[in-house]
Amino acid sequence: MIDIVLKDMWSPIALIAVVLLMGLITYMIYNLGNPTYKRTKHKGEPFISGNKPPSDLSTIHVGGDNVFWGFTHALRKYIDPLVKGHTGIVNDYVYWFVITLALVLIYFYIMI
Amino acid sequence: MSFDLITHSPTMVLGIPLLFAFLTPLADKVSKELRDAVFMMGLLLTVFFVFVMSYEVYTSGAWTYVFGGTESRPTSLTSYFRIMFAADGFSALATITVAITALGAGIYSFAFMDGHSGMEKYYALFLLTFAGVNGMILTADLFNLFVWFEVTSIASCGLIAFQNYRGKSVEAALKYMLISVIGGLFLLVSIGLLYGEYGVLNFYYLAAVMTGGLVDKIALAIIFVVFAMKASSVPMHMWAPDVYSESPGSVTPFIAITSMGSLFVLFRILFGMFRFSMGAVELGTLLIILGLLSMFIGVSMALKQSDVKRLIGYLSVSQIGYMLLAVGVGLTTLENGDYGTFGAMALEGGFFHMINDGVYKALLFLSAAAVVYATGTKDLNRLGGLAHRMPYTTVFFLIGGLSIAGVPPLSGFSSKLLIYKSIYLYHPILAIIALVVSIITFALIGKIFYNAFLGPDLGLTRGEVPTSMLAAMMILTVIVVVFSLFPNYVVAEIVVPAIEGLGVIP
Repeated sequence: MIDIVLKDMWSPIALIAVVLLMGLITYMIYNLGNPTYKRTKHKGEPFISGNKPPSDLSTIHVGGDNVFWGFTHALRKYIDPLVKGHTGIVNDYVYWFVITLALVLIYFYIMI
Repeated sequence: MSFDLITHSPTMVLGIPLLFAFLTPLADKVSKELRDAVFMMGLLLTVFFVFVMSYEVYTSGAWTYVFGGTESRPTSLTSYFRIMFAADGFSALATITVAITALGAGIYSFAFMDGHSGMEKYYALFLLTFAGVNGMILTADLFNLFVWFEVTSIASCGLIAFQNYRGKSVEAALKYMLISVIGGLFLLVSIGLLYGEYGVLNFYYLAAVMTGGLVDKIALAIIFVVFAMKASSVPMHMWAPDVYSESPGSVTPFIAITSMGSLFVLFRILFGMFRFSMGAVELGTLLIILGLLSMFIGVSMALKQSDVKRLIGYLSVSQIGYMLLAVGVGLTTLENGDYGTFGAMALEGGFFHMINDGVYKALLFLSAAAVVYATGTKDLNRLGGLAHRMPYTTVFFLIGGLSIAGVPPLSGFSSKLLIYKSIYLYHPILAIIALVVSIITFALIGKIFYNAFLGPDLGLTRGEVPTSMLAAMMILTVIVVVFSLFPNYVVAEIVVPAIEGLGVIP
């Protein structure tokens, strides 16, 4: 018989119960806040270093290529050759199949 | 044996989609409504019989279905010359995974493909693919495996190229066709080698008589590489992001699940056939190497993508790596006929991750397709603020995304936890690599979520996608949540029988 080891390691119901309990405590603390607070028009608006938000909202949204740019730029010596290797040419796909088959054959011949 | 549907359920999960695949075009001659109804009936009946077969396996134990035979289990050498289906825990896990994805993708198709001409062909190809994958998973005969491999490949190819007015879809289909044809031909060569050597093509029989000679090694190498390629393992993964990105959105999860079907076949062949005559440690080590490469290169390539479907495609390659790694670790522990201290845990993690990944990946692909459907673009540079107008799709994507990233309490975390712990016991460095890949996956899901759904409303869409698309995503979301809340039940009732079904544990 195989042991169900997961039951000794992890209980999602317990985690959810803890999160709900913490949420309840947080809500109770929140309710202890300043009762005189009133939401007005300008409260909660974004503050961009004192600059007025631009009228064209699309300019303040960071696009796909810019997210993690620094990370991918720092790793460019690893990632760029990898991207270059993915040519999209179907001949290359077949090369990789043949190369892998050859390597696996050699591996089996030597190791097994 | 009297004819009863439960005993014959392994044939039903193939026969029904095959029958309805040919009924759907006929129904289209009458009316579109009848065509849709016939397709849905075929889909639901197949799913129903998958669960009937699985329930029978879980309650009464595994059985071998012998075609044309009168016995439910092979009793003589003559039986081994007939086609056999293995109705066991492993087949149950695999067919349930495929059935859930097929149900989601099928329901999603109604609205997503609305307005396309030739839908009777789409539905026929869909059901043929469903039958093909089920056949690949269930069969215990090598030539029959080749037949279902071809059925799946040809039907999938038609589905990928269905929107043939888009040049890139046709290009993706051509790539898929080429790698499938080459894989199929090599598979046929390996089958010929084994048949020439032993004169039999039955898995069980071959496992008993195989000597591990040079011919066996060549056949194993070919079968290994063909199914690894179809499972999109690095370095033969490059077709997968092309296909996932350019196939119709409703079909993408289904193509991804056919790829996972190949992984199921690979594991069944390694565990059930070759491990007796070849070294389990060496086979497991090869799986671990491919797993590590797939995990790391998949997620590294995803970092540079700005096409949302292509990015998820690379994440899919990365997730395949987790399964290869975990099952590889499990296989290496099999040298002495048992799983040692952590082998069973690794297999529990690997197989649980397969069913989890099948469901949440389908959810991710379908929610990405909803974005494309609503906005007309899959470019993350142009997307933004969709949460304002597509709140349901946003929630569905978030649940699928957090699950693939392995964030507790979602189902991806449960299976990854088993994988981390078991591979740590095998070698700590593997666990560190797996954790790093998970963190990058989380960051990439954050990238998609931020780019597509957060930020100011850019007015890219007028609102949510149609109800049937939301319903399909909702079904998958509910299953992800159920798997998340009751992982121990899923492991005990579905995953452990799958490990036992591989024939290692008596």
